[in-house]
Amino acid sequence: MIQFETSRFGKLEVAEDKVIQFPAGLLGFPRVKRYVLLDYEDTPIKWLQAIDDPDVAFIVMEPRMLVQDYTISLDATTRQALLLDAEEDLAILAIVRVEKGQVLANLKGPLLFNSRLKIGIQAVLE
Amino acid sequence: MLVLTRKSGEAINVGDEVTVTVLEIRGNQVRLGIQAPLNIIIHRRELYEKIRAENLMSSGLSVDDFKKIRERLK
Repeated sequence: MIQFETSRFGKLEVAEDKVIQFPAGLLGFPRVKRYVLLDYEDTPIKWLQAIDDPDVAFIVMEPRMLVQDYTISLDATTRQALLLDAEEDLAILAIVRVEKGQVLANLKGPLLFNSRLKIGIQAVLE
Repeated sequence: MLVLTRKSGEAINVGDEVTVTVLEIRGNQVRLGIQAPLNIIIHRRELYEKIRAENLMSSGLSVDDFKKIRERLK
């Protein structure tokens, strides 16, 4: 188990195998490399909480909840970065925020995960 | 900033593993070919900046914001 502080949820303890590594960080957060997905109340929306920075947490959800036919095509670089060899290991989450009462999702910069190896990357789509 | 002048077909190396080649110059557009290891991620700068800015706006939301999002999406 690893323990860490968070500014929103206090002290948390999670199993090592729940830790998601973002080797390159997220854009703008290159040094924050370890995250954990937190379920919050009874909703498919989750928190992606940084382990290495108590203040950094993103609200995330599956993009298909917002755009039913959302698909992306992975290039070789992304595949390699995720060490992805089976399509069923790929998980996609979009960062959402609320601005003036409107929910905005960042569908151009989705978070891609190898759910088996717990590796993440933020894609930048054209 | 290091400034270098290159002709079409010429290249620069960045470290041992990255080569940037000027493929074609046409008017005010330059086509670049970039050879780099797969773990180096290359983006057009403006796309990168846009997503970076969105991340910065999204990283500090509160539990109240979460509840607002959940309500909106019900």
